[in-house]
Amino acid sequence: MLPTTTYRTAAFVEAAREIGVELTVASEQPSTLEDANPAGLLTLDFQHPDRAAAAVQAFAQEHPIHAVVGVDDDTAIIAAAIAERLALRGNPVAAAIAARDKHQQRVLLAKAGVPIPRFMLRRLDEDPAAIAKSITYPCVLKPLRLSASRGVMRADNHQSFIKAHERLKAIVCEPAAGFLVEEFIPGYEVALEGLVVNRRLHVLALFDKPDPLDGPFFEETIYVTPSTVPGGLQSAIVQCAERAVRALGISEGPIHAELRYNERGPWLIELAARPIGGRCSAALRFGEQGGISLEEIILRHALGMPIPSLQRERQAAGVMMIPIPGAGTLKEVRGVAEAKTVPLVQDVQITAHVGEQLVPFPEGSRYPGFIFARGETPAAVEGALRDAHRRLSFTLLSPRPPASAAGPSPL
Amino acid sequence: MAATDVTITAEPIDNQRCKFMVSEPVLPGGVRRFSGAADAKGSPLAEAIFAIPGLDVNELIVSGNLVTVVKQSAAPWQAVGKAVGAAIRSALMAGGQAVTPARKPAPGDGSAVNDDELYERVAKLFDEQVNPMVARHGGRVELIDVQDAVVMLRMGGGCQGCGMADVTLRQGIEGMLAQSVPQVRGIVDITDHATGANPYFQASKK
Repeated sequence: MLPTTTYRTAAFVEAAREIGVELTVASEQPSTLEDANPAGLLTLDFQHPDRAAAAVQAFAQEHPIHAVVGVDDDTAIIAAAIAERLALRGNPVAAAIAARDKHQQRVLLAKAGVPIPRFMLRRLDEDPAAIAKSITYPCVLKPLRLSASRGVMRADNHQSFIKAHERLKAIVCEPAAGFLVEEFIPGYEVALEGLVVNRRLHVLALFDKPDPLDGPFFEETIYVTPSTVPGGLQSAIVQCAERAVRALGISEGPIHAELRYNERGPWLIELAARPIGGRCSAALRFGEQGGISLEEIILRHALGMPIPSLQRERQAAGVMMIPIPGAGTLKEVRGVAEAKTVPLVQDVQITAHVGEQLVPFPEGSRYPGFIFARGETPAAVEGALRDAHRRLSFTLLSPRPPASAAGPSPL
Repeated sequence: MAATDVTITAEPIDNQRCKFMVSEPVLPGGVRRFSGAADAKGSPLAEAIFAIPGLDVNELIVSGNLVTVVKQSAAPWQAVGKAVGAAIRSALMAGGQAVTPARKPAPGDGSAVNDDELYERVAKLFDEQVNPMVARHGGRVELIDVQDAVVMLRMGGGCQGCGMADVTLRQGIEGMLAQSVPQVRGIVDITDHATGANPYFQASKK
């Protein structure tokens, strides 16, 4: 299930080729070549999981399906619906929905005693001044269904809450939509990448997030693994994630969890029934030689194929989601070649295109690119990522510049 | 024909390859590949291009109105493109055959895969089937070369930088090639997707 907006397409298509699996790619919009390959390309209604599952059931009469994999929050629900209908390996639909809906997730986690921030559900059409008086600070406002920290804002007092509320209304564009007001948990944040097999969580990687995420917005930057968190604390973090997986009823497939820890122990901040997002999965390689990708593991698991290794490679690895440099139209990115020469840096991928409007957090959430590094230690990897980033410069213009002069030129 | 009647447009693919689109047919209905000056003998256009000083051409493909030059020199196309244009123009102006057609393999010549033959068949597939389809998303797929039965292509327009370009390539084009030109052993996409200025689908979320 590859939405047209995902970054994951190349990695999954490549992994399927790697293991020799015949692929049917389903997206929410038709491919131009769908008529040429009706067995390999499919359009589904991603807004309605039941309809999508019925369509796949009909499709499978002619083109048998042996596994279904979603790659993001929305397709995880559709994959669960299809798996249920075709009796394939997957999560119960209720579990996938609980992982997708931030409020439902918190209700289930709280009920199971998983440590999470105190929270309350509010509606955007309520009087913000009244809400502001009823809460304690600092707090975090979160939309229920946006991803990649879009719309997530910290408020430290009444005034900043009211401003954040106003901003969130403009972002969500649904006047009566619900949102969460959550206690801000100070502490160090980590991300856990895992694979659930028959209800058991296997930890694939624990990432440190060395840049503090204290707000007012929560733009991610660097992920580095292995984590430098002391071993005992790592065990507590993993146990916290295991409890969350059980509480939500997740039984199969990838999970990505974000947790914090402080003097009171670990806290579950978010858990999604999908793999790590963006192009970050390229930071993860498995097996002795690092020859296995995360996507290959996910596909093998879904198909019930043997998985050669769930052990991450020996080297430290990291990725930087390049911070959004400002608001405006991207005119030029300089320094990419130089950034690639930084020792330990393996790749610099600029995913924003010239002419694209860059929108900073919290309204935006699309990073302009990714930097990848590998090395002996997490500190060396982190240093390389920062060094490479310093060599990049983004030129933004506003308003939109005239069409690029590149292209055919008369002689 | 006056020199001004021939218009030539250069479109660099990368610093090694450049396509020259010519307003007049250079080799109608066929393809000819030259891998050295010796090959070029008897084809004035190819001889002239291989003779351009300092260009260090190592391959030339002529097909219809298209001349693709592959050079080794580090000189940018902006600096050397005019010399290629002049060579093409003067060969066409001279009258006669600018490029001699490739020898057709005699029946029973064996079943070895011929890249020129594959090029023609792949080009036809792209022109007649692939491109009309991808054009619906403002895209286009250009055949750059066929070497050892491996197709080298470049995606442009809405396909360049498109979040679903890999799906188009692997689930679409690859299957069409397997069906229509099964001798093709693989595809290499040389597109610089990072510079795509108007991708049809833009990746944007986790």
